[in-house]
Amino acid sequence: MSTEAALIEAARKGSAEAFTDLVGGYREGLLRFLLTRSASFADAEDALQDTLINAFRYLYSYDSRWRFSTWLYRIAINNAARIKVVDTVELGDLSDEGNDPLRHCIQASDRENLWSSARRLLSDEVYTAMWLRYVEDMSVNDISAVLERSVSWTKVNLMRGRKTLDAELNKDATDEKSKAYG
Amino acid sequence: MDKLAKQLREDAKQIECEVSAQLDSRIRASLEGVQPEAPARPQRESKSFSFWWASSLTGIAAAIAIIVLINLQAPAPSRAVTEPAPQAFVVPAIEWHAKTAVFTTPLEQEIENLQADLKKAEDAVKQDIDRLF
Repeated sequence: MSTEAALIEAARKGSAEAFTDLVGGYREGLLRFLLTRSASFADAEDALQDTLINAFRYLYSYDSRWRFSTWLYRIAINNAARIKVVDTVELGDLSDEGNDPLRHCIQASDRENLWSSARRLLSDEVYTAMWLRYVEDMSVNDISAVLERSVSWTKVNLMRGRKTLDAELNKDATDEKSKAYG
Repeated sequence: MDKLAKQLREDAKQIECEVSAQLDSRIRASLEGVQPEAPARPQRESKSFSFWWASSLTGIAAAIAIIVLINLQAPAPSRAVTEPAPQAFVVPAIEWHAKTAVFTTPLEQEIENLQADLKKAEDAVKQDIDRLF
C-alpha cells in the first residue's frame, strides 16, 4: 500500500494528523489556485479551510480510481464558487482591480502576468482548465473529472484558452519590439 | 515544453502565497473538531426501490382511469348510411382448385407417442413408490 493510500485509510478512521500529512503537499497549490478565484486573500484562506474540512469529513466518498488531487480540486472549486456567490453581494465584482488579491501577490514584472491576463480574457471554467493543465500537470481526463465536463469539451476549451493566451503573449512581444525600435 | 506552457508555469511561480502559521493552526484546530462521516447505509436503496414500485403502480392506475374515462365519455359512433355502388363492370369468375389436406395422420402419431411417454412415466413413478415404501 502506498504512503498516500495508507494516510487516506488512517484519515478515514478519524486521524486528523494523518489527514494533515496527506494534504500537506497540496495546501499551497490549493491556496494559490483559490487565490485566483477569490475576491480577497481572506476569502481564499476561508475557501482553503472549508475545502480541507469538507475533504476530511467526506473522505469516505473518495474513489481511489482517481488521483487524490483531482478529488481535492473538485471540492476546492465548489467552495470557491460558494464563497464567490456570497461575496458578489457584499464585496462587489471581482473584476474591480482594486479588490483583486492576485495583483497584490504577483511579483513586480515588466509585463502583465499571464494568469492575470487569463483571468481577464478567459471564462472561469477555461481558466481553471488551463491552471490544472499547466500548473498542476493534470491529465485531460482528470481535468474533465474536476470540471464535470466531457473530455472533448475539455480538449476544445484548453485549445481555445491556449490560442487566446498565445495571442496575448505574442501581442506583448510585439509591443516590446515596437518600444525597442521606437 | 512549448513557449506558452513554460511561460504559464513561470508566471504561476511568481504568484507569491504561502499558508501562514495562523491559518495552519486554524485549519488544524478545525480538523480536530471534525469526525469523518460514515458512508450512507444501503437501507436507502430498498426505500427508493419501494418508492419506484409505488410510483409505477400509481402511474399505471392513473393511466387506466384516464382511458376508462375517455371511453365512457366518447359519443357512440353514428351509423353511416351507405348506398350500394352501381355495378359498372362484371367481376371475372375465379376458378378454384381445391385439394383435401390430410392433417390427421401426424397428429395421431403424436398422440400415440405422448401416450407411450405417459405410460413410461407412470411405470417409473410406480417403481419409485414401490422401492421407497
